[in-house]
Amino acid sequence: MLFSRRLMLGLAMAGTLAGALAFPAIAGEGTTEIDLFFPVPVDGKLARDMGTLIKEFNETHPGVKATAVYTGSYDDTLIKTRAAIKAGKPPAAVIMSANFLLDMQIENELTNLDSLIKADGTTKEQFLGQFFPALQGNAVIDRSVYGVPFHNSTPLLYINADKAKEVGLDPSKPPQTWAELTDWAKKLTKREGDKVTQWGIAIPCAYDYCGWMMETLTMSNGGRYYNEEFGGEVYYDTPSMLGALTWWNDLIFKHKVHAPGATPGPAVSTSFISGNAAMMMLSTGSLTYVRDNAKFNYKVAFIPRNVRNAVPIGGASLIVPAGLEADKQKAAWTLIKWMTSPEKSGWWSRATGYFAPNKAAYKTPEMLEFLNKNPDAKTAVEQLDVAKPWFATYKTVPVRKNLEDEVMLVLNGKKQPKEALAAAQKAADETLKPYNAETSLKLP
Amino acid sequence: MKVIDWLLRDAPLATRREITPKLGFVLTILLALIWLIPFLWMGVATLRPASDGINLMAELMPSVKPTLDNIRDAWEIGDFPRYTLNTTIICTGILLVQFVTITLAGFAFARLSFAGKTLIFYLFLMQLMLVPVLLIVPNLSLVAQLGLYDTLTGVMMPFFASAFGTFLMRQAFEAIPTELEDAALIDGAGLFQCIRHIYVPLSMPSFSAFAIISVTSHWNDFLWPLMVINSPDKRPLTVGLSVFTATAEGTQAWGTIAAGTLMVIAPLLVTFLIFQKRFISSFVTSGIK
Repeated sequence: MLFSRRLMLGLAMAGTLAGALAFPAIAGEGTTEIDLFFPVPVDGKLARDMGTLIKEFNETHPGVKATAVYTGSYDDTLIKTRAAIKAGKPPAAVIMSANFLLDMQIENELTNLDSLIKADGTTKEQFLGQFFPALQGNAVIDRSVYGVPFHNSTPLLYINADKAKEVGLDPSKPPQTWAELTDWAKKLTKREGDKVTQWGIAIPCAYDYCGWMMETLTMSNGGRYYNEEFGGEVYYDTPSMLGALTWWNDLIFKHKVHAPGATPGPAVSTSFISGNAAMMMLSTGSLTYVRDNAKFNYKVAFIPRNVRNAVPIGGASLIVPAGLEADKQKAAWTLIKWMTSPEKSGWWSRATGYFAPNKAAYKTPEMLEFLNKNPDAKTAVEQLDVAKPWFATYKTVPVRKNLEDEVMLVLNGKKQPKEALAAAQKAADETLKPYNAETSLKLP
Repeated sequence: MKVIDWLLRDAPLATRREITPKLGFVLTILLALIWLIPFLWMGVATLRPASDGINLMAELMPSVKPTLDNIRDAWEIGDFPRYTLNTTIICTGILLVQFVTITLAGFAFARLSFAGKTLIFYLFLMQLMLVPVLLIVPNLSLVAQLGLYDTLTGVMMPFFASAFGTFLMRQAFEAIPTELEDAALIDGAGLFQCIRHIYVPLSMPSFSAFAIISVTSHWNDFLWPLMVINSPDKRPLTVGLSVFTATAEGTQAWGTIAAGTLMVIAPLLVTFLIFQKRFISSFVTSGIK
């Protein structure tokens, strides 16, 4: 017998006991218990750092007991937050991908932060003035504040300086245009017969990353990706995006300097670190990892342009879900202000490689010392002058996947850019239809 | 050829000279090897020191200086004993309740006659067509209303009844000759005694087959526990492990991931090895009861 009677009884007892033990914790008198949902977009050890940060907050704020709840990827975090709101158990604060805010605001899932800012005696302008201007587009909707930037990024071009020197290129003068970058990638690709032993460049494409890279290339090509003023329109089937995808496609199939197929972000950084790819486009969020693991001299540079220098921001903002009790909302606001203060966001920035959205963080002595030692951390901040908001629409994730699925087909050599973008546009228009029916197409 | 002869020592004499069974045998060995490669790599990567660098990460050749650092790292990042306990509680809890529900429901569909039986059975089977993701929000609302949000019971709740299990038990019970039940009834046994002493013992292979499927699927479930659980000390293994596998930016410490994955699957693997014979036989049962 696999399951003897006694064993079954024992297990049944253990099961009921465990069920009985699993009751929710009861809060102590006078303390407000709040949950903070956070994804780990970077190295897993940071989950521990987040624990450290929250522990410090709890020690310095006796009236509040915050728990850091790890919630998977950015996309998983959105699913969990939404499910929790619908189940009537909203968390007090969430580190949410910056481009999901509009979608959540459309669905009435966000708390408008204006009144909380006002209650502190600051004006909206003063409050927003703490942050870099490029970050405000994703945090402000209809002139109201819905999110507080926490850790942000821009895409960068990483160059293996040693390999560049080997082939006679000057890493102190990185490529500025797509033409120069293509030329660099050709020179940096090593072949043995038909086999490529070193790729010139690697650009990531997996859900989430792929859409961001497409926006990066499209913006560099003069395009917009989406309507910044209205959540019901994306511009996939346009000359600017067609040029961007065609160039990416050419890097693979025409110039053969980029490995075929859609490569996830971690695989891209791995191949750069291992010397399998001499250049890569990746978020500044990977900078700490590259700094700690690269056994060669590397250089970071702006994303090269075809028409203009422009990149989207990335990263995440702190939000307060709708439907919270007043005391929890207040506690959440205290936590958010503490986490986004110059000292804390500076510390988090040095730990991750993301830049600190709070401008004052760059005036702290720790940060000045850090930048002296690691000048490469300045590049992302400097690039902010040409940064624009991250695409945010009604149903951001499905609309993004409409494009990503087609781009993956192109990179795998199964589709041509033109027809892929036409298909992506058609699918996205279909996804956006319900919103347009309620807004732009709702006529008197 | 000596090797092949030795390998075929248990084969019936008639097939010793034939080529087909040998081909099948070779193919099975090949498939087993392909299946083993990821496991081998996981073991090798777990013991590889970080100093080997990323270039050697994909190598199947073990490192010359094996280290336990990765296991220690993974152990420190995640509270694995606690995660394992939680996952075990979830899987056994679900399974025990399922045993009761699928036995009774399976028996009702197999042996009792009531109005609309076929219709209800088909409605029951329609559950199999639903994508679990569709049910996340309604299930979570219900779990929250019952006061089970952020509890292990809340994680188990939606799986207490199983359409697949009910179907499996109905098939198993229908295959049991009614004469056995009739004999028991003549001896004065009640309905529940019949189930307890005739139907359940004779359907043991189906029970163990179902147990395997149920435990492995809930052991690996990620999205639903992620939705229900907030407290770090109630995380199951899958959620605990994803802390250092689900990275969007930056990259991954492969050695640590391999070590963590090894810890997650080890209990399942050991269980499988212990009960291997029984598992195999439960899927290949003769029709004679």
